[in-house]
Formats: sequence, C-alpha cells, structure tokens
Amino acid sequence: MLFILLESSSLLSVNPGLIFWTVVTFLLLLFILQKLAWKPIISAVENREKRIQESLDRAEKMQQEAEEKLTSYQKMLEDAKKETQEILSKGRKTAEVVREEILSKSNEEARRLLEKAKKDISLEREKALADIRNLAVDLSLSAASRLVERSLTEDDQKKIVANYLKEIKIS
Amino acid sequence: MILNTFLAFITEEAEKGHEEGAGWILEHVLDHVILKLPTVLGIDLSITFHVLMIWIAAALLILVFSLGTRKVGLVSKGFGSVLESLVIFLRDDVLVPYLGDKWKRYAPYILTAFFFILTCNLLGLIPKGGTPTSNINVTATMAVLTFLIGQSAGMRKKGFVGYWKSFIPPEIPAFVVPILFFAEVMGLFTKHFALAIRLFANMIADHLIVFTFLGLIFIFKNFLVALFAVPAAAAIELLAVLIAFIQAYIFTMLSAVFIGIALSEEH
Repeated sequence: MLFILLESSSLLSVNPGLIFWTVVTFLLLLFILQKLAWKPIISAVENREKRIQESLDRAEKMQQEAEEKLTSYQKMLEDAKKETQEILSKGRKTAEVVREEILSKSNEEARRLLEKAKKDISLEREKALADIRNLAVDLSLSAASRLVERSLTEDDQKKIVANYLKEIKIS
Repeated sequence: MILNTFLAFITEEAEKGHEEGAGWILEHVLDHVILKLPTVLGIDLSITFHVLMIWIAAALLILVFSLGTRKVGLVSKGFGSVLESLVIFLRDDVLVPYLGDKWKRYAPYILTAFFFILTCNLLGLIPKGGTPTSNINVTATMAVLTFLIGQSAGMRKKGFVGYWKSFIPPEIPAFVVPILFFAEVMGLFTKHFALAIRLFANMIADHLIVFTFLGLIFIFKNFLVALFAVPAAAAIELLAVLIAFIQAYIFTMLSAVFIGIALSEEH
C-alpha cells in the first residue's frame, strides 16, 4: 500500500531541485540564525550562568568572612570578659589588701594613742600626786612653823619633810 | 477484496491529489511544482510545494528568533525565555553530553537542524500546509549534512588515515580487521541512511493514518463511519504534534551522537 502510494507520488523519487533548495535554504538559515539567535542566546545564557556563579561564590566568600569575623568577635568578647573578670578580681584583692593594711594601721594607731594617753594620764597623775604632796608639805610646814613659831633651817626642814614623807609612804 | 478496493482508491486519490494539489489530506505530504523554473546543470530548479514550505519554515524561524532574541538577556522575558529554555535544553541534553568541550563548534548545526526540522514537521499540521520532512529528498539532505559534518570533524581531529584507523579497535586479531572494517563502514552509512528514513517515515506515517481513517468513510460509502473515523483522525493529529517534537529531537540527538562518535577515539 505504502509502496504504491509512494511510487505514485514524488516523495521517494529523487528530486535534485528540492535537494538543492534544501541545502541552500538550510545553510542560509544556519548562518542567519547563528548571527541572529544562537550566538546572542548562548552568550546571554553563559553570561548569566557566569554571573550567577560569581554571585554564589561571592556570597559564599562573604559568608565565610562573616563567620570568621563572628568567631573573632566572639573571641574578642570572651577575652574582654575574661579581662574584666581579671581586673575586677585583682581590684578586689587590692582593695582587700589595702583594707587590711588600713585596718591594721589604724588599730595600731589607736593602740598607740591609747598607750600614750595611758602613759600621759599616769604621768599627770604622778605629777599631780607630787604637787599634792608638795602642797601638803608646804601646808604642814607653814602650819608647823606657825606652831613652832620659829623658822627652821633649811636642813631641818628637809629632814623633817623627808621623815614626814617616809611616814606617809609607810602609812 | 476490500483491501484491494482500498488500495486502488488510495492510489487513485493520491494521483488526483498529486495532480490537483489541493482538496485532499495527502496534500500535506505530496509534492508538486508550483512555479516552473529552468533546469541548470541538470538540476530542475522549479519551486515545488515543499520548497515553498521550506522557505516558509525558514522565514518563520528567522521572524520568531529575531523577535524572541530581543527579550533574551541577563533576565529573559516572555517568549525570549521560551526560546532560550529550548536552546539550553539542547545544549545540556544533546550538545554537551555527546560532543563534549567542542560543543560550540557544532551548536549552530545542531540547533538549526532541530528548529528547522521541528518547524517543517509542524507545518504539515496546519491547513494548507505541508511537511517537507515527509519528503525523502529533504530528510536525506539533512542526513547527508550530518554525515559530512561528522566525517570532516573526525578527519580534521584525527587526520584522514587516523580517522579510518579509528574504526578498528586496537589489539584485535589481524584476520578480523577487514571484516570489522567493512562492517563498521557499512554501519556508518546505514545509520545515516536510517536517520533519513526514520524522519521521513514518521512524518509520512501520521498523515497516512489520518488519510486511511478518513478514507474508510468513502470506501464504506456510509457517513456513520465518520462517527468513528473523524475522532480517530483527530486523535492521530494530536499524536502527530507530539511526534513532530519527538522526531525533531531524535534527529538532532542522533546527529550529535554520530558526530560525537566520529570525534571519539575509537568506536
């Protein structure tokens, strides 16, 4: 059936004219489309692919950089925290030492002052006692002299006073 | 009996279609002279129906691509991205896999062949149109172009002697060499011959089936047959759209494969 049909038609018979026109048309079409379509389309596609690749690479690089920066910042932050902690603890320690020092110094000062005060007080007391004693001697002397009505020599006075004092001390 | 009648009918109608050039489904596949031109160097340059269709196909392609490529850029728009996606598809599925790094050299042929054959195939599906690819002269010309490109590519890469040597795998017994060489050369011609026949046969087949279905109405001389024949023919026409794409793809893919084989180190 197909054979009869094709025999009767021009589909299987060689037609040099058609071959010629096919070759000419196809080659012309090839050159025109090469200039008109294939070159621009392929270059556009490749440009885009290159661009996309570049963007992807850049994004990846930027991300890497960002991560690096993040880790470095985190490290810096940690370092700073550590440093702060160190400074704080050092400050605390120093403050403690200073406090101790001040405290002990002031304690000592206080003790010293107390001691001095005590010493002064006892000294004053001694002095006061001596004054009282002298006054008592003078008083008794004047009283005695009034009683005796005569002045004793200095030596006598001293002897008497010394005896008197001895008596007082004993008593 | 019925078959004989049918055959006689088809033949008669084909003759009629051939002579009148209109009014019957076979106009889509049959060729006829529409403008008589002189014969130069033994070549009858008359413009036939298929020559006209080839020109229409070429004109359509130039028009479509000149409009479409304008919209192709860093960001393609509209129809430009449709054309571009087809080109990318051919590049990624045909050119690069079969031709490797040198794909750009063969891209113009492969791309033009695909779109040219596709347009020719589709032209047969529109009313008053015709399929130049259902003419063996056209498909054979395309197959010969593939053949010539493949052979010249192989010879340019490996040298004339080196190219023919590459037909024989290394380290085979000497007595096998002539047989193998003969078989390989036969295969080389056969596969390109098959390339031409495949496209031709596929393109003529769907029209013949439609023709057959519609012819049944006239053979049975009963319009009730049309209830079956017309939907069946319509379904075949839809299938033909698919076949138009598939055959254009197969032709270009096989062309790329054959050129790739000619370029490869050994078979």
